[in-house]
Amino acid sequence: MDNEEHLRLLNRVASGDRKAFELLYKATSGHLYAICMSILKNNELAEDVLQEGFIKIWDNAKEYSQGKGRVLTWMTSIVRYRAIDMLRFQKVRKGNGLSEQELVSDSPTDSFQFTNKNQLDHCIEQLGIQQKQAIHLAFFDGLTHQEIAYHIDSPLGTSKSLIRRGVQALKRCLGL
Amino acid sequence: MNYLNENLRHVLAAEYVLGTLSIRARRRLEQLRVEHIEIERAIQDWEWHFNGLAEKLTPQPPSELVWQRIEQTLLERDINTQQNVVDFKTHSVRIWQSITGFATAAVLVLAFLLFSQPESLEPLPNQITVVQSEDNQPLWLIEIFNTRIDTQATQNVVKETAKDYELWMVPKDGTAPISLGLLPQEGIRSLVKHNRFDTTEIAALAVSIEPLGGSVTGSPTQVLYISPLALL
Repeated sequence: MDNEEHLRLLNRVASGDRKAFELLYKATSGHLYAICMSILKNNELAEDVLQEGFIKIWDNAKEYSQGKGRVLTWMTSIVRYRAIDMLRFQKVRKGNGLSEQELVSDSPTDSFQFTNKNQLDHCIEQLGIQQKQAIHLAFFDGLTHQEIAYHIDSPLGTSKSLIRRGVQALKRCLGL
Repeated sequence: MNYLNENLRHVLAAEYVLGTLSIRARRRLEQLRVEHIEIERAIQDWEWHFNGLAEKLTPQPPSELVWQRIEQTLLERDINTQQNVVDFKTHSVRIWQSITGFATAAVLVLAFLLFSQPESLEPLPNQITVVQSEDNQPLWLIEIFNTRIDTQATQNVVKETAKDYELWMVPKDGTAPISLGLLPQEGIRSLVKHNRFDTTEIAALAVSIEPLGGSVTGSPTQVLYISPLALL
């Protein structure tokens, strides 16, 4: 389903159309659930976040405008930010003691091969291996600077610097 | 900090989208994106680029229960709305039949849940927050229950032998913060929930550093951290 179809459904959702909401859910929940699982790595938590995310999408559908990017991008932001909040909460609840295995995914994206050749992928390929790794760990696994530092066995300052210099390089490459 | 500097704006926006900003910086940027269109645009640019990366993840179907729970939530809202607007003299029997039917079903589900759960399972909090330091380190876990607030210090809390950390709720309407009690510097402490907690629209919780025993003025002396609440 493309952005125009998502937009058509979201417009109906904004006017309170439950059927359109169900169709939008069916079209996008698999994608959004994969994002939740990538970050949380736990079915129960990922489903909780997905549920909350869709309630927020229902509540905020009227606030969406095309200036906010594609519909799926907007929905991804809602769900992904909530997943990150949930991840931080769970880490504290467990005594800040998630193991390294729990922190990172074993998804194919772990190889840091950004194979979908859009503009950002092209720019990411220009980064150093550690910069790619740091951005990957932040985006796909929801890690903090401290956790990234632990994972790449470097001081906290190095982790921060990798991300920030990486972002600056991406900005130049993307022409932002 | 000049948030309108182009390079800084983009670094902050990108880190906001990646999720590496501290909670405090994150909330600050959320305020600024409302005030400054340049910041809002920078965030949207990075959301557009970074969120595209997520599209390479293989979609995974969630359990069918998720959609059922979403429908249930919306149904409960409908019923609450109907209850709020119903005219008690002229309401239709049909509405009350459906409310009664739903209430009966809810009681049965609740009874099933209560009796099917292990006795040791505690009720979930209604709201939570994690107070974090500027470098994103978790300091306290705050859980809001019906009548109490459970607080738990992490090992990241700096021990202050001659001072106390105090928790405040910050009303959205701009009136003065209200003290919720002293936070533990280690371990767990349960606070009695302030009687205005549930009737006040709360912008955030705040933590201040105070003389031993808490603020002597009734207002926070020096606010160290601000943390928004999240519903569960």
